[in-house]
Amino acid sequence: MTNDQLQHAIDLLRPSGDSRLLTHLNSCVHCGLCAESCLFYLATGDERLTPARKADLVSSIYRRYHSVTGKLLPWLVGARELNSESIDEMVELLFGSCTLCGRCTMHCSIGVDVTFLVQTGRKMLSEMGLVPATLQATVQAAVETGNNMAIPVEDYRDTLQWMEEELTDEVGDPEARIPLDKPGRKILYTLNPREPKFFPLSISAMAKIFYAAGESWTLSTRMYDVTNYAYFSGNDGEAALIADRLWSEMKNLQAEQLVLAECGHGTRAFRWESPNYLERSFPFPVMSSVEYIAGCIREGRIRLDPEKIRERVTLHDPCNLVRNGGVVREQRYILQSFVPDFVEMTPSGIDNHCCGGGGGMLSMSEYNEWRMKAGSVKAEQIRRTGASIVVTPCHNCVDQLIQINAFYKLGVRILTMAEIVADALIIEHETRIAKQSRAPLK
Amino acid sequence: MVVLALGISLCVSLVHFVRIVNAGIPRDLAPAAGEVSPAVRYSFTGAMSPTKKESAYLHLPTYATGIIFHLGTFLSFFLFVWIWIGLPLPGIPLVLVTGFLTLSVACGLSMLGKRILERKLRLLSNPDDYLSNMLVDLFQATLVLSLWISAMKPFCFLTMALLLLYFPVGKLKHALYFFAARYQLGWFFGRRGVWPP
Ligand code: SF4
Ligand code: SF4
Repeated sequence: MTNDQLQHAIDLLRPSGDSRLLTHLNSCVHCGLCAESCLFYLATGDERLTPARKADLVSSIYRRYHSVTGKLLPWLVGARELNSESIDEMVELLFGSCTLCGRCTMHCSIGVDVTFLVQTGRKMLSEMGLVPATLQATVQAAVETGNNMAIPVEDYRDTLQWMEEELTDEVGDPEARIPLDKPGRKILYTLNPREPKFFPLSISAMAKIFYAAGESWTLSTRMYDVTNYAYFSGNDGEAALIADRLWSEMKNLQAEQLVLAECGHGTRAFRWESPNYLERSFPFPVMSSVEYIAGCIREGRIRLDPEKIRERVTLHDPCNLVRNGGVVREQRYILQSFVPDFVEMTPSGIDNHCCGGGGGMLSMSEYNEWRMKAGSVKAEQIRRTGASIVVTPCHNCVDQLIQINAFYKLGVRILTMAEIVADALIIEHETRIAKQSRAPLK
Repeated sequence: MVVLALGISLCVSLVHFVRIVNAGIPRDLAPAAGEVSPAVRYSFTGAMSPTKKESAYLHLPTYATGIIFHLGTFLSFFLFVWIWIGLPLPGIPLVLVTGFLTLSVACGLSMLGKRILERKLRLLSNPDDYLSNMLVDLFQATLVLSLWISAMKPFCFLTMALLLLYFPVGKLKHALYFFAARYQLGWFFGRRGVWPP
């Protein structure tokens, strides 16, 4: 690491622009009351893993270089140098034991945005070239190939074709399609690369919903990846580059509206962060697929069979979609509209615990042990509901929940929102044809 | 002495204040999903209540201790000015105030004790955390004593001067940043349509 990199990292803590950084770097009173809000502390009891420690790691370096007291009397205010010791601790705590879930922020006794400080610390590490190699590889794959799993175009097309066959069988209509690269459609829909790679049935599930709603939609070959792991690695330049591709693809395909696949961080990174990365406002509406499905039910565009799902169902709230994204009621509206035995976790909604797989944790295999330990909090929450199906509108959470399910022997089924909705869809060909004639496909 | 300390304290605090206000609220180009004003109101009210804030409802004794200690601090500042301008404090209010401030000092000391004894807090603390607590405890204690023993008044004035000088330097300045932090939180969760719940 060069001195320049070190200096750039320190400069990132110089409050500039707006008062957000200045405020949160100076607000923590070290009361420690946020400890129990964090799944890493709850699961391990390790005092080093409290949110306050993570926030203070960043603030203490700020104090050392950017505050008068910290410069003159560093011992008094616990100001720390940015050196190999503090850097190692930063990597371990800010990447290895924080999912950026924001639960501590919401419950902090003062109102310190711990997540924002951890994110700032990650930006410093990114500036110094210290993003964990596994996470950086995921970002690199997205930058170089257009999707974070480096899926070759041919494989992607083959999978979609296979899923189209599934769809035609499922709905009993040989004309049913999974449209690809169709210009001028109303909706451009994205995917999490996990879908074409490992869980293609969730693509046909969403296609079935679009089919039943008589929707005008398309997928893209050039840019379909909803994820943006650069948001987690702290590299705003790469995050902007990835986000910009989706903006461009909307323009290329002349779509009217962007519907983001079930991905918490992808939705957050695009819906909430990308206008700021790119310094421009959206010229098109953006919504999550959860909001889209809820809208279809509300408008009577799809009907669901309340007899179909007889098991007890519970809901896991992806932190980036719910607590940090404001999509709280729609998923409940959907489930309550056709699941007779729906139970909430405790706590739920904006207070729900993280699954432990967020913040890029799933891609950082070096922290697998902590991730699985942290998952014990979610495992216990699931167990207490007595549910046999856990629904979550996030493929990242699905991945972590599948692993938790096996590790803690929960014996539940994990489904995305599209999957459970598709299972209960009532396909009425007559109705669909009528819908299409009301809103003809472009 | 106190006037000088107050002057310095106010000037430095003003620098903090102007920095915060000048920097302004963050710019957000993403379309808002909710309103900021009700969320900011909620941030300062409902979100702080022990029914909603986990850091409060999981730690009710600490929460209550903190509330009493903070109320005691505000009361002490008020009383200090009262004494300073030479207003009398009659019997019953004097007893009530003495009782409350004694409780407040006890709360402050118990928080200090907790910081010393609990490993989790010890790991998190630096000398500033102990010093800030001790200064406020001392100020409240000398104030109570000076209400009864006039010979204690110079000590009370001295601690007040120290407290004022230290206020903008260490963590006591959270009294200023607290408002900015809660506002920012309300702004963030309000725009995102998360608050009020
Ligand atoms: S982050 Fe908030 S709750 Fe945690 S120690 Fe700091 S002030 Fe207390
Ligand atoms: S953001 Fe979540 S994981 Fe990170 S410190 Fe806060 S509660 Fe823990």
